[in-house]
Order: sequence, then C-alpha cells, then structure tokens
Amino acid sequence: MLPLVSLTLFLPLVGAVLILCLPKPTARTVHGIAIVSAALTLIGALAMWLQGVGGEGFSQIEELEWMPAIGAAYRVGVDGISLPLVLLSAVLFLVSLIYASSLRDRPRAYVALILLLETSAIGTFTALDGILFYVFFEVSLVSMYFMIAGWGHEDRQRAALMFFIYTLLGSLPLLLAILGLYLGSPDPTFDMRAWIANPPLEGAAAMWALIAMLITFAVKIPAIPLHTWLPAAHVQAPTVGSVILAGIMLKFGTYGLVRFALQMTPDAFREAGIVVLFFGVVSAIYGAFAALAQTDLKRLVAYTSVNHMGYVIVGVSVAALTLDPAIRATALDGAVLQMFSHGLVTSALFFLVGMIQERAHTREMGEFSGLLTTVPLLGWFFVLAAFASLGLPGLAHFPAEFQIFLATLGTTPIAVVVILGIAIIAGTFLKALREIFLGEPRDRWNKMPDLSPREILAVAPLLVLTVSTGVAPSWVLDVIHRTTSALVL
Amino acid sequence: MGHDLALLAPEITVLLTAVGALIAEMLRRPQISLVVAVIGLFVATGMTLRLLGTDTTVFDGSFRIDTLSLWAKLILLPATVLSMLLARVDVRGSAREGTVYSLLIFSTLGALVLAGAGDTMFLVLGTLLTGLATFALVAYPDTDPATEAAMKFFVFASVTTSIMIFGLSYWFGASGSTLLADLPGMETMPLAVILGFVAVVVGLGYKASLVPFHFWAPDAYEGAPLSIAAYLSVVPKIGALFALTQVVRELPPETGWVVVMAGLAVLSMTYGYLAALVQDNLIRLLAYSSIAQSGYFLLGILAVGSSDLALPSIILFAAAYAAMNLGAFAVVATTGRSLKDFDGLGRGRPLIGIAMVIFLLSLVGIPPLAGFVGKFMLFAAAIDVGFTWLAVVAIVNSVLSLAVYLRIIVPMYRLGKPASGAMEPWHRGVVIMAFAATLVIGLAAQFLLV
Repeated sequence: MLPLVSLTLFLPLVGAVLILCLPKPTARTVHGIAIVSAALTLIGALAMWLQGVGGEGFSQIEELEWMPAIGAAYRVGVDGISLPLVLLSAVLFLVSLIYASSLRDRPRAYVALILLLETSAIGTFTALDGILFYVFFEVSLVSMYFMIAGWGHEDRQRAALMFFIYTLLGSLPLLLAILGLYLGSPDPTFDMRAWIANPPLEGAAAMWALIAMLITFAVKIPAIPLHTWLPAAHVQAPTVGSVILAGIMLKFGTYGLVRFALQMTPDAFREAGIVVLFFGVVSAIYGAFAALAQTDLKRLVAYTSVNHMGYVIVGVSVAALTLDPAIRATALDGAVLQMFSHGLVTSALFFLVGMIQERAHTREMGEFSGLLTTVPLLGWFFVLAAFASLGLPGLAHFPAEFQIFLATLGTTPIAVVVILGIAIIAGTFLKALREIFLGEPRDRWNKMPDLSPREILAVAPLLVLTVSTGVAPSWVLDVIHRTTSALVL
Repeated sequence: MGHDLALLAPEITVLLTAVGALIAEMLRRPQISLVVAVIGLFVATGMTLRLLGTDTTVFDGSFRIDTLSLWAKLILLPATVLSMLLARVDVRGSAREGTVYSLLIFSTLGALVLAGAGDTMFLVLGTLLTGLATFALVAYPDTDPATEAAMKFFVFASVTTSIMIFGLSYWFGASGSTLLADLPGMETMPLAVILGFVAVVVGLGYKASLVPFHFWAPDAYEGAPLSIAAYLSVVPKIGALFALTQVVRELPPETGWVVVMAGLAVLSMTYGYLAALVQDNLIRLLAYSSIAQSGYFLLGILAVGSSDLALPSIILFAAAYAAMNLGAFAVVATTGRSLKDFDGLGRGRPLIGIAMVIFLLSLVGIPPLAGFVGKFMLFAAAIDVGFTWLAVVAIVNSVLSLAVYLRIIVPMYRLGKPASGAMEPWHRGVVIMAFAATLVIGLAAQFLLV
C-alpha cells in the first residue's frame, strides 16, 4: 500500500524544493514543475477520495515516531470532515498555479511559496497530532505573509504585517490549549485521536481551553469582532493570495472549530454554544451589511466571506448545542459542505475580480458599466459565481445553507434572523451585477479582452464543481455524512 | 581518583586544547593555533558523546557529570567552534590571533565548570574563569569603544561576583559545607539560605544578562568585536543558566525561589523585547533580544524538581538558542550593523536572506524551527507546574518579539537597492552550519529530549 496521505501531503513540498534547487531555471520550467507537482497532488487527493473513509474515526492513517519522549508523533489520516477539504485544496492550488503561470516577477519564489502553502494546507487538514497540526497551521501563516509582502498591491507591507501579527497573536492561544490537552491527558500524548475519544479536560480547564481555541479560530475564520485583518489582507494580496486565503485558509478556522473545539471540548462547547451561535449570527448579518456598503469589488467579495463563514459557525454551534444526533449530523453536514462550497465559489469570484482588475487597473464598481457586452465570457462566469454565492438553488451554497438553516430551526428559532443575511447578500450581488455588467457599455473599456484560455482553465473547473455540487450534492455529502452521522459527543 | 579523571576527560581535553592553542601562538603560527583549537574541541565533544547517559559526581560530589553538564558540553563546544570561525575574520592578521582562540576556550571551560557545578566553589571558579577571559576578549581590539565596553563589563562583573561570593559565605556558615547538595539540610536558618540565593542570582544573573542585571550587555556587545558579542550572548550565558539550574535543584521550595524566577522571567522577557523594539543598531537589538531570551529559560528553570519536562526543555532551548543566535550574528557580521544595511538584502542575496529569516523566525518561535520546539517545551514545563499565567505572558512576549524581528525582515524584502557583495567564506560556513542546526534541532528534537 502506498502511503497516500503522506505522498499527497509532501508532493508540493518536493516540487518547491526542486524549483529552489534548480540553477537558473526559466520561468517556463518553474511554472511547469509547479503545475506538474500540483497535478500529481490532485491525483493523490483523488486516490484518497476513492479509498474513502470509514464510519467512525479516521481512515488511511499513517504513523511515524517523532518525539516519543513527549508522546508526539507524525500522524496523519482523514475522515469525512477533512477529506472534502483536502480535495478542495488540491483543486484550488492546481488552478491557482495555472492562473499564476503568466507571472514573470520572481516566479521561482512565488510558486515555491504557493507549493509550500499547499503542503501546509493539506497538512493542517490531515494532521492527527497536536504539534504537527500547529506546525502546519503556522507555516501557512508565514508563507502567506511573504506572499502578500512580496507580490501584493500598493499598501502590501502594512497589510502583510497586520495579517502576520494579528494571526500569530491569534494562533498562540491555540498553542496553550494544545498544551492543556497534552498535560490533561492521563498518559500525556499529542495524539488527537486520543483527545477526541476521551476529551482530557473537564470543568473550568475545558472552558479555558475552549476560549483559547475560539479566539484562535475566530481570528482565522474570521468572525466578528476579530475580522479586521481580513479586508486589508485580501485587498492587498495578489489574486492567487486572495484565492488561497479565502478558499483554504479561512477553512483552517472552521475546521479547527469542528476538530478541536467541538470534538475535544464538547461539554464546554455545549455550555458556551449559545454565545458562539450569537457571534456566528452577528458575523453573518454584519458581513452581509458590510458587503452591501462596499464600492470596491474585492472588498465586497471579502466581506461576503465573513457572512458565509458566519453560517458555518452557526452550523457548528448548533451541532454543539443539540443532543439529537440526527440534527447534529444535519448541522455538521451543512457546515462542512458550506466550507467546501465557499472554497469553490469565493475562489472563482476572487479570480474573476483579479482578472477585471488586471484589465482595468481599478476595482471601483462605479467605473464600470455594461461589461457583459464587452467581455461576455468573463461576465457570465461572474454572474454564475455571484448567483452561487447568494445561495441560488442548484448551485453549491444552496444545499449547504439549507441544511444549516434546517438544523438551526430545529434547535432555536434564531434561524429567521440568519436568513436575513441571505437576502442582504442577494441584494449586494444583484446591485453589483447591475452596476458592472448591465447598462450602457463605456468607451474606455471597449478594448478590454475577454478571458484567455489560461484564465478559463483557472475558473471553469471551479464553476463546473459549483454546479455539480449544487445539482447533485450527494457526491460530497455522502463522504461527509459517513463521519458526521457517527459522531458521538 | 583515576576514575574521576576519566569522567573529566572532556574538560581536561578542553584545558589541554587551550594550552595547545597558546603554544602554537607562541611559535607565531596562528593558523595552527586555530586548527589545534577546532580539533581539540571536536575531540572533547566526541568524548562527551561516549559519556552520555552517565549520572554521577566527581571529587566527592563537588562536580556533577549528569545530563545537564554533558549536554552543556555538546552544545557549548560546537558553539565555541562557530564563534572561533567568526572571530577568525575579526582577528585575522592581527597580532596575537591565537591568544583570542585560547581565551575563548578558557572562557568556555569556565562555562562548562558552571554547568556542572555541584559545589559553591565551582560556581565561583566558573564565574571567574569565564569572566577574566571575556574581559580580555572584549578589550581585544584596543580601540576606545572596546576599552570602555570592557571597563563597564569588568566593573559590573566585579561587583556582582563579589556579592555572590559574599552571599555564598552565608550558605557556608549555615551548612558548614560548600556542597550544593547540603543546602536542603539548613532549614534551621532559612534567612541565610534566602540571602545566599539572592546573591547567587545576582552573580549568575549578570552573566546570563537577566533583568535587572543586564546593563552591561548592550554596551559590551556593541564595543566588542562582533564575534565576541556573538560568543558572549551564547556560551557564558548558557553556562550561567545551567549553573542556576544546578543550584535550584537543591533549594527547598520554602525559600520561594520559584516566585523569584517567575518574576525575573517576566521582567527579562518584557523589558528585553520592549527595549529591542526601539534599537536601530542591530548589535544592540540582538543584545536586548538575548536578554529577553534569557527570560524564557527561566520558565524551564522554575519547573526544575517538579516537572519531568524541565530539564529537557532547558537543554533543548539552549541548543536551539545557540544555533539561531550565532546564525543571526553571523549574518549581521556579513551584512552590517545598521538596520539600513538590511534594505533589499533578501532580493540582492536571496540565500543569506532566507537564512536570516529562518534564524529570526526561529527566535520568535515559529514552527517547525528549533526555537519553536524549545519554547514549546518551556511553556509545557511552566504549565505543568501550574504557572499557566507565566506561559501566557511568555506568549504575549513572543508576539512582541515578532514585531522586533519583523523590523529586520520587512526591509529585507522591501523594494529598494538590493544589497550585494561577496561573503567571507568563514562567515558563510558559520551561517550554513547554524542554518542546518536550526532546522535539524526543530525536526529531530527527540534526540535532545533526554
């Protein structure tokens, strides 16, 4: 048996090292190697997908001794919650590298950073060891810092610094929580499976650990009021940076919320669940209103992420609150599917915004009009992605949000308020679409070229997946449900 | 006695190496002096490896051959070799080059004596041996700043060491013995124990540049040749911190030493980073950063005796600290002492740039680098003995430290005139070795978890 998980996890890193070791490679070679290693990674992820997951606990586990003296080891594996996110990462990084293949400004370091990010992303989702998880979690942060600082827009240094300090400050409480779990275990170990099977902390200690985790993940997600780093980082990041940030790195937070907070401190989460739910609702509503107020297209998309991630928080906290296994499974199905869908849809939107900016050198929505006639392909792609984002049935977000609301309604009537968020987001996107794509075409954009094959190759796969997830969500949901239905808290 | 000497083979080899380097210098053969020094230290390191696992004492309990003192050799001897390679660039061609190597080795011997001290007299001997050699090293360039730095260093050291010796006399008076192992037997005179302890903290604290005994460090580092500053920030400091560990192992908890350590840790970490934040001279910045890093060691030291994680965490962090700090100094040696010298370094000299980023991120404690594993273990040790609040303070300080080190990293990649220039092969060697160590210690920490 091939160690599939480890192969998939380290293939990008091997590509990065190869690229850095080549003496004076051409940009073509660099991009070629990067795309090939990301494609191989996708094949690895697909093979993992075909292997599937078992009902309870983790599958495809690989273990290696690392620091036996303190009970830390290299342990990786997947379950129905992490496998969709691994697949999402593999797809997103491949299309990101395809999109980036036109870059000529220090391409070597750029794609090496992207590949390093890919390893850290897949590592974060597959790690089954507390230290290993933290290592991957932090490596992603460092790589993203250099990406924003090195290739971002006008105000990149400040945005990168803010991003770095904010998220590092945010992630250190998790370190304390991990140490707490470690020292609380009867036989001190960093094995996350042991922490899940027998939550080591209880009472006040568990509550403190939960609070520490919530701070970390709320920054990462980002949830109100710890979201302030996000718009700046998104706006200043290069397009691929925004795509990875929104598509993958925000999921670190929600994934951690399920994996750590829900699974390792379930009782504390049940007690505090209503507060977390409240923050989720506020995030969803606030994100929607904030998006409505934007005139900068990229900021608009960034704020819709706050809204969408708010729904995930709602889903997870409902799962923590409820005692009914069926409702819990529904809530978690929705939350995990929402992470997956958001990765596809928002990444597509960020790509398209980046393409518009590259052509027009502005993101102010008021500057545009009638683009649907000038660049029809880009326009229709954007329309499709926007409709998916506002939750239209038949597209990826609908089945996810539907299940979250269903589970929420079954637990607390607060769902009514959350649905308000959908209406506002719909208004936001419709307003943006009308302003940019409809109306009289303006002369200054007459010469704007439509999508190139490279750009189509980057966005089309995401939209195909968006439609297929919307029309037949069962291909992902079945995997997710195997785990969520067996989840005992 | 013969058995004792066999156990002391590494120390004796170090002593002979120092003498050998001096003899080569007398023959006016500085190169041979360097070769003798490097080979001698490697032989001593090899001998130590064979002793690993031993836990005993020699000379009737006054010198300890245990985990701590053995690992001190495994960390400090290679660190001394790297310092000598750095020093080679500073002193090449000057008169008495070999003397510098010889003094470095004598000082390291002092640090090793400190790390294995089981007797108050060895504390004094180690402090004096390290001190006397390093005063001369700081003053070596024979320039006004160097002389001034050495004077400050000397005066400060004399006062603190005298206080320590004075305090030790209380211990002797109370227990009638100079052995540290006899300290727990003095519960009849708690005041004497406390007074002695305070004095020891003063004496070792200055060497470890803990706040508030740190005043000399930034000035001495700045005035001294860069290689000596690098050495001072690593070898005597680790020696003193290990000596402190040996002392607190024997102290009864009623003396309240744990709280003293916690207080000093907070002061050193916070003050060190706050002061580092406003420095534009990189040597001073690194000096304050090393003051702060000393504070982190105390998280492990205060857990000594109560947590199994204490000793491994101190040793692991010492190894990590030695690698990353020497690496950072080596990069400064090849780049320049001013923050401005780092503008565009990452673009002009990408490999040096990456190495510096790795050293600095390791100093912050970003995984999977050496500094992370070390700090992680220190936090675990502190939490294990109930000092969670101190771990939180340390973590907040880590964020502060990020701001400090990013002040160096950010200009390295800012658009600007890319720095360029050839690199001294000696510097390059040190950077490469420190770089490898910083990565390997992070990934292969299990070998240091004793």
